[in-house]
Amino acid sequence: MKTAILQLSKEERAILARLKAWLALQLAAEAFRRDAALREVCPAGGIALKLAIRGVGAGMQLVVKNGIARVYSVGWPQLVLFFPGSASAIRVLSGSKGTAVPLPLRPGAFKALGFFRKASSRATELLRGAETPEDVRARLLLAATLYGLEVVAGDSYLARRMQIIPDGVVAVRAGEIEYFVEKRGNAIHVIEAQRHPDAVLSFADYRSAIDVLSGKRQAVVALGSGEVRIEGLLPLVQGLFAVLDRLSWYLGVAL
Amino acid sequence: MGNGPGEQSEGPSKAKQGQSRAEKRFETSIAYFERAAKVIPGGIYGSKSPGFLVPGHFPYYLSHAKGSRIVDVDGNEFIDYLCGYGSQIVGYGNPAVDEPALAQARKGDLLNQPHPVMVELAERLVGLVDGMDWAVFVKNGTDATTLATSIARADTGKQIIIAAEGAYHGAANWCSTNVFPVFTQAEQRDVRYFPYNDVAALEALFRQHREKIACVILTPYHHPTYKPQQLPTPEFIATVERLCHSEGAYFIMDDIRANFRLSMKGSHSFFGAHPEMITMGKALANGYPLSVLLGTEGLKKTASSFFITGTYWMSAVPMIAAMATLDEMERLGGTERLAQLGRMLKEGLESLGREAGFSARISGPLAIPYLTFDEDPDLFLNQRFCAAMADRGVFMHPHHNWFISLAHTEEDIAQTLEAARGAFAELRD
Repeated sequence: MKTAILQLSKEERAILARLKAWLALQLAAEAFRRDAALREVCPAGGIALKLAIRGVGAGMQLVVKNGIARVYSVGWPQLVLFFPGSASAIRVLSGSKGTAVPLPLRPGAFKALGFFRKASSRATELLRGAETPEDVRARLLLAATLYGLEVVAGDSYLARRMQIIPDGVVAVRAGEIEYFVEKRGNAIHVIEAQRHPDAVLSFADYRSAIDVLSGKRQAVVALGSGEVRIEGLLPLVQGLFAVLDRLSWYLGVAL
Repeated sequence: MGNGPGEQSEGPSKAKQGQSRAEKRFETSIAYFERAAKVIPGGIYGSKSPGFLVPGHFPYYLSHAKGSRIVDVDGNEFIDYLCGYGSQIVGYGNPAVDEPALAQARKGDLLNQPHPVMVELAERLVGLVDGMDWAVFVKNGTDATTLATSIARADTGKQIIIAAEGAYHGAANWCSTNVFPVFTQAEQRDVRYFPYNDVAALEALFRQHREKIACVILTPYHHPTYKPQQLPTPEFIATVERLCHSEGAYFIMDDIRANFRLSMKGSHSFFGAHPEMITMGKALANGYPLSVLLGTEGLKKTASSFFITGTYWMSAVPMIAAMATLDEMERLGGTERLAQLGRMLKEGLESLGREAGFSARISGPLAIPYLTFDEDPDLFLNQRFCAAMADRGVFMHPHHNWFISLAHTEEDIAQTLEAARGAFAELRD
């Protein structure tokens, strides 16, 4: 059943707002890494832009410096894009109308905002575009999924579930792409490469990853036909599937 | 007959476009699975889901079985060590069980009133299983464990159920892994868990919930999925019984999985335990759907006051099959024979593992073994080993304990060990 923003609890609205902000920043960073044209238009000195949502904890910022894009939760940005509430953040970051207040703090503030808009727009194009190379699209979808898990893991809806999922590291692989996700206690984080993950979730190729992550092919069917493989500590991966279901639920909320 | 397995699919699947040897081996299974996923949630749900095995190395659909062998829809044959998740104890298609069962099926299975065999089976079980005075027949383990805990709650007027972490007592909301908030705040709210064999943790739970505990439900030994099996320490069982006695709580033994594989008197007898209620199932009727809740005299009145019913719970055929299964178990050598075959398998596998340089260890009772590798708690080696065994025609589950049946032979075990020699070598290389 599709849920509307107004039907969400206060906690759910906050999580969805944080999710939208986190994904917007992570995907903008990923688009910067993958797209040469986008790197060309980035201000020479780099950018630092923070998204802050009232009532949703610490802000998150995109920093591009020396040709490297990263997303942090701390730092002193050029500009804070402030949302007066969760609902406005959800709407604006989903491409709809809503209130967002730019608060310039340092020189280059509006260039940073302009770049963030271009990067977000480019990330969306790359995600949806039929002409996007498969490896780039797979990487963006994986990034959206795995960084999404980071935010959703804190949902009280999943609290008991998170308690029974064993702790450990999962390597997620598709072709040349490899991400590592760590579940520890009630938190999930995308982490640096690990030599000995506890479990491996691998897609046969980029196309399989795209089809499954975009919802075109059921994960269960892909698993049965060998397009997706899980190895190692299965309860860890299967537990993350439950978190993934919750992520899908959030991303399906109607505006 | 329905359509062939691939006929309703949307066109060639990826699996078909670039088939590996393994995918060709299970082509029909995969085609059925793709059809199933369109009309059945998850394609195959629960513990039989392909993801629980090692896709590409195990079949998803079986067509028939005989003795210790199963055959899949692609015609691949396996020596089977899962035995229908433990439900086969005297072998698939054993005529000593099937002939009287099928004869009753022709005369009538599900009748308005029970068949007299219900009385005979209850009398037989009460006479056979140590310390039990009455029997209620149901269909699945979940029915029996749910009824047992409900009776304990009704009799004590207390809510809390204590169970061991990782123990499986069924798929009902009170005990399942469906931990949605709507259940954790309701049916699961009053269930408390402790680490198996951890006497201090159990004592702490009893202190914390004094005068609120209805029962402790335990399997006779611990058989969590994905982990080595654990036998109970004598101190643990004594503590459970002491704490239950002092609290006025009931001790329920969930013997669904082991059933008569350890002792014809029940697994509690094997481990020296004295529960007030026992659930049995799985191999009780050699695969015919039947489970039972057995209880002591003191709980009979409360059990009598329950409205216990299910459309199929008194059907005659499974009860006829249960009587015949008990006869056949005795004829074939019962638990001693199971242990003898289990020992041969355990010693052979552990020895071959050592020779190949692995710390492969069989845990649990001889008749219900499970192999793990001490060097790999994440089970990568289990998955690779069981996949290699399946490639060699031996069905050993990588994540669930195995079962020995009385249909297994020394030749089966020898053939299994020969396959294991190759599988260990494949792992090493």
